[in-house]
Amino acid sequence: MSAKSAAAQGYIGCHLCGQVMQAVNGPQRCPRCKSAVHFRIPHSLSRTWALLITAMILYIPANALPIMSTRYFGQTSTDTIISGVVYFLASGDWPLALIIFLASVVIPLLKILTLIYLLISVHRQSLIKPAERTRLYRITEFIGRWSMVDVFVIAILTALVHIGVLVNIEPGWGATAFAGVVILTMLAARTFDPRLIWDHQRQALAQHQTIQTTKQDNMPQGERHA
Amino acid sequence: MPLLICHECDTLQRLPALEQGSEARCHLCGARIYRQRRGGLSVPLALLLGAAVFFLLANFFPLLTLHIQGNSQTSSITGAALALYREGMGAIALLTWLTSVLFPGLVIASGLYVLTALRFGLRLPGLRRILKLISLVHPWGMLDVFMLGVMVALVKLSGTADITLGVGIQAFAALVILFAWAMSQLEIRQLWQRLEEISR
Repeated sequence: MSAKSAAAQGYIGCHLCGQVMQAVNGPQRCPRCKSAVHFRIPHSLSRTWALLITAMILYIPANALPIMSTRYFGQTSTDTIISGVVYFLASGDWPLALIIFLASVVIPLLKILTLIYLLISVHRQSLIKPAERTRLYRITEFIGRWSMVDVFVIAILTALVHIGVLVNIEPGWGATAFAGVVILTMLAARTFDPRLIWDHQRQALAQHQTIQTTKQDNMPQGERHA
Repeated sequence: MPLLICHECDTLQRLPALEQGSEARCHLCGARIYRQRRGGLSVPLALLLGAAVFFLLANFFPLLTLHIQGNSQTSSITGAALALYREGMGAIALLTWLTSVLFPGLVIASGLYVLTALRFGLRLPGLRRILKLISLVHPWGMLDVFMLGVMVALVKLSGTADITLGVGIQAFAALVILFAWAMSQLEIRQLWQRLEEISR
């Protein structure tokens, strides 16, 4: 394992276009795409915490307030996220119940908990399973967008079920709060810098290794995968 | 061999010689750091051109029509966003429209522009900015999620009402497939390299 990070060797990778460049003192821009480059995302931890805490606060109205109300020939019923899942289960549509339960309940909760765990593990300079924690981060970042499905369902139902005053579906404020949770957790995942997971790992390793001064080209190589 | 830095663990490493259609993973954390694409840019360009046609069809034809007691109501993608706006939910209306119309549309249009320039070696104006725009906007496009939403809504309503599938929904399904396929054929770092080659 390579103990030194690119940053420790004076190199920066552009986050946007991947260009590798040597670091200079002070603010720096990528020579190729002109984006600002940094060794690490600036204030990654505090920004991620701020977004995540806001998401957690919004999570309460997202679940407590109705996401939509349905009027069907004089009968009005309101749905929250959970009652929507229960409705699908009760009507025997368990594949749909599963999709909505995963997208609207499991994924947002797991995402918030995973990011809290990653943040705390970096704060505590944890050395536990960095590769697994990085994989956890990768999955969290990849999967988050699917939570938006319930908001789109509400949009389509609102547009279609709009027949006079008799049959009507209206969105509720719970839907807006929920969309806020999804967007804020997506932003939180993007401001979290997974390289921080490895920084303490490398520091700890560097302290344990005797410094080898043999100068040779021992740069590691990426692994081929078919 | 070119140098690469893993964006997830910051390991500086050499890119190994890759066969076409294979990918390189970071030797430390296992993140995918490079994909060597088969063939040139003609295939993704053609796929994206197809996606553009279906994008227009999906946006100008109705997705679904609902019939209840002799009345009917039709909706398009933009119509779904407008319905939320009409009900006073401006924020999610905007979010729906941005993620399922504007952002995917921008990525398709910019992708066509950049790929045409890179494929035929044309030094068109603003290539850098537009390639940058694609990287910034692409993560926020949610065509596939919207498609899942349409299917959930369809099943939900099918018990209580008659629904006709419009031309829009078929075009939308084709759009989701072609767009994902085109994107899977592209390695953004390869596009940046190509851009440097033609602007020399």
